[in-house]
Amino acid sequence: MIELQGIKKIYRMGSQSLEALRGVSLKIGKGEFISIMGPSGSGKSTLMNIIGCLDTPTSGEYVLDGDKVAGLSFDQLAAVRNRKIGFVFQNFNLLPYATAWENVELPLLFDGKSARKRKERVTELLNAVGLYDWRAHRPSELSGGQQQRIALARALANDPPILLADEPTGNLDSKSGEEIMDVLTMLWKEGRTIVMVTHNDHVSARSQRIIRLFDGLII
Amino acid sequence: MNLTLPRFFWSEYRKRRKKGALITFALFWGTLSTLLLMAFGQGMSIQFQVAFSGLGETLIMVSGGQTSLEFEGLPKGRPNFLYPEDIDYLKDRIPEILRIAPESYGYFQVSAKGKEINRTVHGTTAEFAVMRTQVPQMGGRFLNADDVAEGRKVAFLGWKVASDLFAAADPVGNQIVINRIPFTVIGVLKKKIQDSMYQGPDADQIYLSFHAYRQIDNRRRLDRIHIQPREAGQSRLIEDRVRALLGRKDRFDPADRYALGFWNTIENNKEGLAVFKGIEIFLGIIGVLTLLIGAVGVTNLMYAVAKERTKEIGIKLAIGARRRVIVQQFILETMFVFAKGTFWGFITAFNIVHLIRLAPINYDSFGIEAYLLRPVFSLQIFIAYMIILGALVFLSGIFPAWRASRLNPIESLRYE
Repeated sequence: MIELQGIKKIYRMGSQSLEALRGVSLKIGKGEFISIMGPSGSGKSTLMNIIGCLDTPTSGEYVLDGDKVAGLSFDQLAAVRNRKIGFVFQNFNLLPYATAWENVELPLLFDGKSARKRKERVTELLNAVGLYDWRAHRPSELSGGQQQRIALARALANDPPILLADEPTGNLDSKSGEEIMDVLTMLWKEGRTIVMVTHNDHVSARSQRIIRLFDGLII
Repeated sequence: MNLTLPRFFWSEYRKRRKKGALITFALFWGTLSTLLLMAFGQGMSIQFQVAFSGLGETLIMVSGGQTSLEFEGLPKGRPNFLYPEDIDYLKDRIPEILRIAPESYGYFQVSAKGKEINRTVHGTTAEFAVMRTQVPQMGGRFLNADDVAEGRKVAFLGWKVASDLFAAADPVGNQIVINRIPFTVIGVLKKKIQDSMYQGPDADQIYLSFHAYRQIDNRRRLDRIHIQPREAGQSRLIEDRVRALLGRKDRFDPADRYALGFWNTIENNKEGLAVFKGIEIFLGIIGVLTLLIGAVGVTNLMYAVAKERTKEIGIKLAIGARRRVIVQQFILETMFVFAKGTFWGFITAFNIVHLIRLAPINYDSFGIEAYLLRPVFSLQIFIAYMIILGALVFLSGIFPAWRASRLNPIESLRYE
């Protein structure tokens, strides 16, 4: 499903350059649940961004679902992010002005879904995360756990086969963190591919496989 | 057309409209000030024409003079007068003349109901009314052809004369005495703005039929001849013909500029209109510059908005928004703000203009307020304004929008 071959990422700032990934090769099969771990600066987030089509590698080849990502335009990458990948961020990244309902609805809007389909899907997802009654609330009116559940519902809006979670429990108390991990585990069991960045051994223990990065390389 | 996204953008815009209040206010203020500027400019131009037409719109006034050139052995410095027979003499020989009227005037004691005043009294004919904008108030009339032909002792009063002699009472049908001869008042002049005059404003004048006037003033000569051409463009031609014909008849050189006096309101009006058109254009330029400054302000504010919303743009890009969606949102928000700001600017300007127009003009002491208190709200100007400002605002929104759509999703997500 996800195939990375010799991925390098070099950031250039003037005459300086920083090699964030130095030739990463990785295969993640369909329905796998993997954790990416490593110290700060090891290249976890860069790898995650490349897998999530938010960034492109300087060199190397990335094949997602059988398609080479390298030749895709900005808008084609946007379409991939919209339909194939769901994102869960450490700091939730919900739109502050939008309600819970609108936040979940947004990926469906960007995909051009009809009003009826949007309504059905958002209702289903908000019920699934237990926040249907909070649909009219804005993120600032929700707890951290509730916000992350809304973010999860948004990530699942277009029913993507891949879920990328960047420190999904990092900003949550342990109870809320456990709840989110329960949901992720359930989603994995339903057949989704889950790639999670974490520092937490207890959290990574839920995954099938742990990939450790150090200094831009898999160790 | 799928309106789902615009509806969503509208909903987002409504939630943070307070943040766009500064832009809305800038557009409101720009619209208000520009529309008022244009309304006052156009109002002044129109009032100038109204005030000028108070004397007469297409009018050539001829008066006597003194020769400045020797002619056929005659010396220069001879006085040259106009006479009643000149009226038919000119009318018969100049087909371009539509109307012609004689005028003689003098300063006389006038009394009525025990009140005595001194005023200029004029003798003229019925044509004078149309040529010199002598519109009677309800219930009265100006001199007619029969009054003139029969030498009826009737009088038409300026409204100030009427109020000086009769206070609030209706003077029509009452008698006034001029030089010990009684005249019946047949009408009173309707109030008007008049910025050009020769014996004072028409409000202060009394008009008699030409033959009746001769009974109080036995001078044979005329003070003025009023001529209205068939077409305004013929005024110079008529001037030349009058000089040539009267020069031949009264023996002066037609090239002598001082043998006759000419007051050509058509030419004066052209000059006046050119000045006011210049003022209108000047105000228009100021308006356009104001709009440009406003557009630069909107661009700056939209850049600031884009900057402030960097993270939000990053989130949208991360969950699959295409670039055009980001551009659309910015453009639509800019246009929402434009619509709101200009709508309230238009409503406020429209109401201010109509409130100012309610203010009365003091016709008795004609001053600057007669020009300022009649601004004109022009729909054509508003439409032109909307098109120019709309284009400017659209352009001022598209650059920040384009830049926002080019943001790097990762950097945007990290932005705090």
